[in-house]
Amino acid sequence: MPETIDITLSVNGLAHELAVQANVTIADLLRLELGLTGAKISCDMQVCGACTVLVDGLAVSGCTYLAVDADGREVATVEGLATDGVLNPLQQAFIDHAAFQCGYCTPGMLMSATALLAENPRPSRAEVIAGIDGNICRCTGYLPIIDAVLQAAEAGAQR
Amino acid sequence: MIPRFALARPASLAEAFDAWDATDGDASWYAGGTEILQVMKMGLARFGTMIDLKRIPELRGISLAAGDGALVIGGSVTHREIEVSQDVARELPGLVALEAHVANIRVRNQGTLGGNLCFAEPHSDPATFLLACDARVRLQGRGGTRDVAIDQFITGPLETAREADELLTAVIIPPARSGEGRAYEKAKFRERPAVSVAIRLRVQGGAIAEAYVSVGSLTDIPVLVPDVAAAFVGAQADAAAGTFGEALAQARARLGHLDAIGDLDGSPDFKRHLAGVVLGRAAIAALSEAAARA
Ligand code: FES
Ligand code: FES
Repeated sequence: MPETIDITLSVNGLAHELAVQANVTIADLLRLELGLTGAKISCDMQVCGACTVLVDGLAVSGCTYLAVDADGREVATVEGLATDGVLNPLQQAFIDHAAFQCGYCTPGMLMSATALLAENPRPSRAEVIAGIDGNICRCTGYLPIIDAVLQAAEAGAQR
Repeated sequence: MIPRFALARPASLAEAFDAWDATDGDASWYAGGTEILQVMKMGLARFGTMIDLKRIPELRGISLAAGDGALVIGGSVTHREIEVSQDVARELPGLVALEAHVANIRVRNQGTLGGNLCFAEPHSDPATFLLACDARVRLQGRGGTRDVAIDQFITGPLETAREADELLTAVIIPPARSGEGRAYEKAKFRERPAVSVAIRLRVQGGAIAEAYVSVGSLTDIPVLVPDVAAAFVGAQADAAAGTFGEALAQARARLGHLDAIGDLDGSPDFKRHLAGVVLGRAAIAALSEAAARA
């Protein structure tokens, strides 16, 4: 049986040294090894975005990204958005706009929107729509989500 | 669950071939993994060793060839890197537009152009466009390097002329000539296009002097359709001109004879119709690029 590979990575700013099997995805590593269950597995086919995490700031599908490929990199998940129990403006905007119902897509939506706002702090409505194009929500019809991201951009600009 | 495998992480092309030779051939290259890991997860393929190409500097980067100024895109350059490249925006804006709409942002951040071409999915966006652009791929193995034109490279659905131990090191796209425009358009309902159409045309003295059209997602590999392209030759290079409208109508009629495959995206008739619609958009986009390069 193939041996494990030693990797070092940071998750939400915390350094980890781990021995992992090469076939383990980053979503499974986060969920099963590190207990970070924010990233969800839904389609398992890179379509729905429920598993979205950021690696060095870039959104990837946690369901189809190998943990070993995050070796030496910085991983960000939804668990890292709040500080000391205080939600960040994007999370608060999702609540203000009732931008989730079942909440299954929400961690992925938040991380895609985080990547979008980091790259483009004042996106237009069209740019927000393009930014979350690959994240599927079965509940909300997207409009509250788009409004929430725009509100967070606004809040970010005022700080 | 992805079946277990041993991982090799070469830091150069030479190390990559050494890693291959250390296996008994039960191995596969991977870069983004967006295609191969999916197939492995579905139980359709498994390999004893996966060889990661992301640490190989020779496969990185976008440059212009010293001689003719051809656009050279390294084998492990991601879709997203192409989408934001200034060089590509200047040399081949149609490719930037295409890359901005491949699958979703996560696939674009992870997936590579080289991997997309090697996987040879019949609904590949770039394969159709690169075919009309007369692009070629550079394959390197232990025995040496060879350049293969896209139409010789893709030999069937999920099949290419690449030998298992060869690497696609670069995609090479000839520079635009004066008066040339190249554009790609698609219609999609899901992650991959339902139909894809590309056109390359050259304008001289106000008329279309030369045209190439390729279609993808309708057939089991992307194909050039010379009779469709020929309909444009001689028409005025003006989307509002009567001769252009007639040429487009003629081209659409000829597309109607294409032996298209029906799938989840629609019947053959519907897909041929859609192809005609997006052909019009592509032709108009190519005309405006051609005017800018006059
Ligand atoms: S679970 Fe990864 S994209 Fe759906
Ligand atoms: S809130 Fe239920 S899927 Fe989006």
